[in-house]
Amino acid sequence: MNYVFKFPDIGEGLEEGKIIEWYVEKGQSISSGDALVKMETDKVVTDIPSPKSGIIVQRFGAIGDTVKVGNALVEIETEAGEATMASASEPAKANSTEAIDEKGFGVVGTIEVAGDGAYLPSSNEGIAIEQIVQTKSQKVLATPVARAMAKERGIDINLVTGTGPAGRVTSKDIEKHRSGSEAVGLVQTPKMQDAAPQTEHEFVPLTQIRKTIAKNMLRSKQNAAHMSVMDEIEVSELVTTRARINAKLQGTKLSYLPFIIKAISIALKKHPVLNAELDFDNERIIYKKSINIGLAMDTDDGLVVPVVRDADRKSLIQLADEIALFADKAKSRKLSLDDMRDGTFTITSYGSIGGYFAVPVINYPQSAIFGVGRISDKPVIKDNAVVPGKVMPISMSVDHRIVDGGEVARFLNFVLEMLAEPMLLLAYEGGER
Amino acid sequence: MNYDLVIIGSGPAGYVAAIKAGQTGLKTLVIDRKYIGGMCLNWGCIPTKSILESAKLFKRIKHGASEFGISGFDPDGLVFDWAQAVKRSKSIVQKLGRGIEYLWKKNGVEYLQAEARIVSPTEVEADNRIISAKNIIIATGSKPRQQNSFSDAMELEDFFSLEQLPEKPLLFGRGAIILEFAQFFSMLGKKPIIVSTGLPLIPKLDDYLEAYINKRLKKDKISIIPQEELGTIDGKLYHKDQPLDYDRAINCNLREAVLPDMNIELELRDGYIKTDEHYRSSVPGIYAAGDVNGISYLAHAASAQGVAIINHINGVVSEPQTNYPINIYSDPEIAQLGLTEAELKAAGREYQIKEMGLNANGKAMTEGASEGFIRLLFETKYRQVLGVQIVAANATDLISEAGVLLELEGTVYDLARTVHAHPTIAEVFMDVSQEGLD
Ligand SMILES: Cc1cc2nc3c(=O)[nH]c(=O)nc-3n(C[C@H](O)[C@H](O)[C@H](O)COP(=O)(O)OP(=O)(O)OC[C@H]3O[C@@H](n4cnc5c(N)ncnc54)[C@H](O)[C@@H]3O)c2cc1C
Repeated sequence: MNYVFKFPDIGEGLEEGKIIEWYVEKGQSISSGDALVKMETDKVVTDIPSPKSGIIVQRFGAIGDTVKVGNALVEIETEAGEATMASASEPAKANSTEAIDEKGFGVVGTIEVAGDGAYLPSSNEGIAIEQIVQTKSQKVLATPVARAMAKERGIDINLVTGTGPAGRVTSKDIEKHRSGSEAVGLVQTPKMQDAAPQTEHEFVPLTQIRKTIAKNMLRSKQNAAHMSVMDEIEVSELVTTRARINAKLQGTKLSYLPFIIKAISIALKKHPVLNAELDFDNERIIYKKSINIGLAMDTDDGLVVPVVRDADRKSLIQLADEIALFADKAKSRKLSLDDMRDGTFTITSYGSIGGYFAVPVINYPQSAIFGVGRISDKPVIKDNAVVPGKVMPISMSVDHRIVDGGEVARFLNFVLEMLAEPMLLLAYEGGER
Repeated sequence: MNYDLVIIGSGPAGYVAAIKAGQTGLKTLVIDRKYIGGMCLNWGCIPTKSILESAKLFKRIKHGASEFGISGFDPDGLVFDWAQAVKRSKSIVQKLGRGIEYLWKKNGVEYLQAEARIVSPTEVEADNRIISAKNIIIATGSKPRQQNSFSDAMELEDFFSLEQLPEKPLLFGRGAIILEFAQFFSMLGKKPIIVSTGLPLIPKLDDYLEAYINKRLKKDKISIIPQEELGTIDGKLYHKDQPLDYDRAINCNLREAVLPDMNIELELRDGYIKTDEHYRSSVPGIYAAGDVNGISYLAHAASAQGVAIINHINGVVSEPQTNYPINIYSDPEIAQLGLTEAELKAAGREYQIKEMGLNANGKAMTEGASEGFIRLLFETKYRQVLGVQIVAANATDLISEAGVLLELEGTVYDLARTVHAHPTIAEVFMDVSQEGLD
């Protein structure tokens, strides 16, 4: 039997993607893990690998087409042994999580496999799909009114989570389902408007990225015990050091961020609990071996957090180059899922836009986030005299469930010491005594 | 003694919750000061339906048998044997009571016959013992409100111990029970009077059904006297210069909560235990189900609430059910489900109503039961059926089809395409829905 591979949930709360490029042709033989298609979502551009080896019998969707999670991407004629297995186990696995072996599948470790009912039985996806539907799909459970409402509103009922008995989709579920993707171009009349037609509110459906941000923020606030610390540090030394270095540099100039990343990377080695995550279900703490620093970046669409991998092993220039590259990609929405994965600690330099102190929200399940405010000219006391200084405000939030107050204080002291006296970065780089 | 759950009251709220609790592995104790099954089983739903059936059969034989071709007896010599009717009802009640006990036992539910008192949010005192419970369900039911006009009025619980039926009973109160009792007497050739304590006679019914009931009572020659038209002269009750002529007053008043004695402060709402959408009271760990929370006065609603509570205790998420059929076992029966016309109007919904009588229905004719109708109320956009009202000899069973339809958010289209067997009274459902197609 043939295996129909459906666009999997690649995490990040994305519900649909656009086909950018097909890597496979009909009739081509592929191995599991080979990239099938390049997809662009609201947030990333990513390659979707094949879960099975075999021959591509059918490809669904042309370049530029939008594909929803759960819709068929390719039909693969699998090798005999595997095929029988797939067909035997498939009905029971509908809507379950299929464990995927590592090869080529860094995506999220496991991929949510959409159930068999997960693609649209009623047309607009081409004849090919309909043929498969006839043999494979079962109609999603829904009440007659829910079906009528979904049809009217252009909502794919197969994508609506049913809350009725046995997962039946009810009219309420359709009411609740106002996903951005479905709503685009549709003037949905919200209930409130019925009541007060003269309302001055505008109702804008959430974009995928906004939904993802909202979900992640809420998850963090609901799961982590946020505790925040704020401090100020005099950085005249850093300001001059940076200026001196930049005067000598060709190409990319250094911002303050590489220095901060460097200082934090060094300090994380000494305070590994800030580079860890709490695995409460299994009653353990997971200490991360790599130091991968996420950088919160503001874009027109919303917040994205690309990750500088192995930051502790990179030079200031390498860090600066990487930051510049990420900034470019973020602006043009070219960040790939790979760019944003595996962060272990996050820095947000909100001061680049404005703001002195802030209470940053932890990038859950990480255990800490470091925020940098705007450096400003302030009077400071040096050698018993008031003199002009350059003051950098910093704000840090930690998950108090695993990070104690003393630990943060010691970590911060160390980081701030290095920022106050950047030559110390040289002294501590690569390990302490 | 420690329990996961102590349930006070073994009526339809309590006993159904107990079975479900046992099935899902909760260590459960039910405490009732009287009999297993509560009001519903011992004096309410079941025994009243049993004697009503006796009365309906009596009337049928007396007034209808000859038309059906049955003769050889003197209709005027027919006698209603009240003692036998009660005996029959008691044996049904006993059988059902044993059924509950069996189900409890099978599911490991313990039972204690005693008065229960709540001493703390996790402790109940009964039979001179303190019983600890992680959760408590109060399912102590309701009783008719007291009234002052008829000091000698009897309570329904004592009705079944009467040796002889009154000839001119006066039924005081409001609600479905009063209609059932009035017709019970009238079918046996007695002369009942209803003194209504308010209007409409049956709360929550659609005006259309209320109008039908008034018409029907007139036909049965049962008069309804509004309470405020009563006066007293020399200590005797009068209605418009006529002394009230009755030999027994029966209290069928609207009901009020029966609250157990307790040491804790529970928030009340109009005298009933105030609950949230999961039937939780204001005290964590204490729930209230059935009549005592004032949400409805129906056995099936009480049971549904009981099950919902067990689901909630077990962390099972379930949408609360709100569609409870209102069934009246009158002659003919009356049933209503979902929204009334007034409610549709109030909600500002666009709706249509289609009604079809039973008088052209073959099965109804053969049964000599063609009085009645089925009425569909549906919104006009998707034609979702939102309310169903039935008057028919078997309305209380017919309404179940509407129950499934409403639960599944069905439309008139779904009803119209469902093939109904012929001949059945239920065919009227299909016929009336055809009328509702555009
Ligand atoms: C005449 C009549 C006819 C009816 N017919 C119908 C019908 O046809 N259909 C319908 O749906 N409904 C009918 N009802 C209504 C129905 O009986 C009630 O809605 C239903 O019984 C409510 O169930 P419950 O579990 O809440 O309480 P109940 O059935 O009243 O049970 C409460 C129990 O709690 C016990 N109790 C109270 N206090 C304590 C205490 N402190 N300690 C220990 N035990 C205590 C009582 O002894 C009782 O057994 C009828 C009612 C009457 C009166």
